[in-house]
Amino acid sequence: MGRIWLAISSFFLILFRGALPDDALAPLGLVRRAAPKAQTTTAAPTAARVSDGALQILSILQRDSRLVDFIMEDVTGYSDEQVGAAVRGLHDQARESLSRYVKLDPVIDGVEGTFTKPVVSDPAAVKFIGNVPAGKPSGGLLRHKGWRAGKIDLPALNPKQDAAIIAPAEIEIE
Amino acid sequence: MKYVIGIDLGTTNSALAYTEFKPNADRFDKPDVRLMEIPQLVNPGEVRDESLLPSSLYIPGASDFPAGSLALPWNPEPEFVTGRLAQKRGVENAGRLVVSAKSWLSHSGVDRTAPILPWTAPEGVRKVSPVDASAEYLKHLRQAWDAKMPDAPFTEQQVLVTVPASFDAVARELTLEAAQRAGFCDVALLEEPQAAFYAWIERHQDWRERVKLGDLILVVDIGGGTTDFTLIAVTEQAGELALERMAVGEHILLGGDNMDLALARMVADQLAQKGTRIDSFQLHALWQNCRIAKEKLLAPGAKSKEQPVTILGKGTGLVGGTIKAAVTRDDVDRVLGEGFFPRVTSSDLPQRQRRFGLQEIGLPYAADAAVTKHLARFLRQQASSTEHERVRRGASGLAAPTHVLFNGGVLHARLIRDRLIEVLNAWLGEEGFSPVQPLAGEDLMHAVSRGAAYYGLALQGKGVRIRGGVPRTYYVGIESAMPAVPGIPAPLKALTVAPFGMEEGTAVTIPGREFGLIVGEPAEFRFFSSTVRKNDAPGALIEDLGDDLQELSPIEVNLTSADGTGTVPVSFETVVTETGVLQLWCVARDGRRWKLEFNVRERVAQ
Repeated sequence: MGRIWLAISSFFLILFRGALPDDALAPLGLVRRAAPKAQTTTAAPTAARVSDGALQILSILQRDSRLVDFIMEDVTGYSDEQVGAAVRGLHDQARESLSRYVKLDPVIDGVEGTFTKPVVSDPAAVKFIGNVPAGKPSGGLLRHKGWRAGKIDLPALNPKQDAAIIAPAEIEIE
Repeated sequence: MKYVIGIDLGTTNSALAYTEFKPNADRFDKPDVRLMEIPQLVNPGEVRDESLLPSSLYIPGASDFPAGSLALPWNPEPEFVTGRLAQKRGVENAGRLVVSAKSWLSHSGVDRTAPILPWTAPEGVRKVSPVDASAEYLKHLRQAWDAKMPDAPFTEQQVLVTVPASFDAVARELTLEAAQRAGFCDVALLEEPQAAFYAWIERHQDWRERVKLGDLILVVDIGGGTTDFTLIAVTEQAGELALERMAVGEHILLGGDNMDLALARMVADQLAQKGTRIDSFQLHALWQNCRIAKEKLLAPGAKSKEQPVTILGKGTGLVGGTIKAAVTRDDVDRVLGEGFFPRVTSSDLPQRQRRFGLQEIGLPYAADAAVTKHLARFLRQQASSTEHERVRRGASGLAAPTHVLFNGGVLHARLIRDRLIEVLNAWLGEEGFSPVQPLAGEDLMHAVSRGAAYYGLALQGKGVRIRGGVPRTYYVGIESAMPAVPGIPAPLKALTVAPFGMEEGTAVTIPGREFGLIVGEPAEFRFFSSTVRKNDAPGALIEDLGDDLQELSPIEVNLTSADGTGTVPVSFETVVTETGVLQLWCVARDGRRWKLEFNVRERVAQ
């Protein structure tokens, strides 16, 4: 194979197919690496249940900010001041904790209250409200930017641990 | 690839910085010093990178953590927990937490190689020595490096570990021992205030234009647990500006943690007056919240005059049990400004430690919390040294710095920096000098490790090096030859064995005095040091020990000799190694040598 032909054909093969065919590898002195094995779902010794990730998030928010304690408490009897005092610290920590494990982005990165044309038409991602016409609307006022989980970075679950435990009971020895 | 690694082995936090060693680099090129993020357990089963490794060690028991949740990338089942998780879990169970190992390392009142920590551990908990704990932090850093930099094994790099300038010869040697136990190979020690100053030089390659001959730079380093002062003079060598470390202060166990605790106690008192009592666990939560509130109130541009601090209810009843209080800016100004940094005169010295007949053994915390008084004493102490005329002094003998460099997390707060400058300027004004110029430092939390990495380059001739040598004068105690009087010990004299400023890589033989040592029996010497007496030459005999000399751990030598028993006449020789460690040797007339070892196992009689 001539050098010029090899150079030109490699260029176009990479451009259009994204890879070199096997017969073009040898003259370049290249060896194809074994493709990474597709992730097997049976890797975990005990199969993780679908809900485990959700429980993990709850457990993290409880651990770092005691969010579950707050939601489960009956706050009707307390003054706004008392609730506010408790919530301020909780809010800081819950926010810090959530943003560490889940990167939250808006679905539409615009200014709420301005005219917006959505690019996606998935009803799960963009919901039209108000006087929605019969056909597909082209745009409207952005009322809520929506939230999308960007990167999720949760620590691996311990297979030996019961994911249903959101917070351990605490026993103090005096 | 070859790197220089700088490790700040701190009392409360440790950090690691590194820079690539380029043999052919221009010495005026700006070196690229980077910080390494340290992977560590932050929660059970969760390893995360953080820029600091809290110097906390937790000794896990059977019921502490779920099985397998302590695995690190390099060790599936570590014996101890180091770093953030240790710190977190230690709040809940203090009896298994080791903290401030570094302060214990410099405490001559205990056996520092014996398993004594955690000091308050209940019966049955495994204990470790201050050296072991320090070695664990260093080992964590070594393994973290190897996990992050697989192409550059840690043991093949040059490593600098920082120690407080106020560390004496024993504490320095124990730090080195910890490093060796952690598997370090090529390691040297560096003083922290010097490292902070190197970090400033690293950031300001034009430093020669910023200071001039005769300037005197005061480094104030206030960390979480300790306060350290150093004076560096700008001198001249071969027609170029050079730097020389002139003086270091004594070891003061006083730092940012004391300040936050003082705020927490103030809030706890206010709550108690309203009838709300909090327990020790809640006080700890309050301590942390007061630190956060203080930082918010003192942050640059902070407008709020008051920060709420809350202690959430302990059980599932979160709102119902919430205790609410507030820290105001006035509170912070009063507690820090009056308690820790009062406006004092330069002759206002700190209260000396009171000695009680029965003293609880523990860390020898500073008796006087006023940092400004400790600073006054430090500058005042320089009056007695006459030889070092490169130290600029006022009429009263007070050392008069021209510049001040701040280091340590506490000095993030402008309030504190301004107060220190205000107090210094008042003293300088009385002596007829113009005000000090602050040297703009940055990154007060990481400057020491960065500076240490830069110093590694300086050692290779790639940067400026501060000349300093041993920051103390060392003495061996000698009993006077006098007729014995019952009940009264023979008066003790002190023989100078290492002069102040003795440089690394040098040796000195003590002239004019020989001792007869008995072969086969350990001989013990009392060992003293002084940061104040700077003019004693090797061999000089001090008749009156006075307050200027501090007793260290005794040193001992055990002469073993092939030719049976008898008495061998020996003289002393002092060596300061390249790694910055002081060694004393007994040398016989025929050239045989025995090293004197620090005896850190016995309690020093006070």
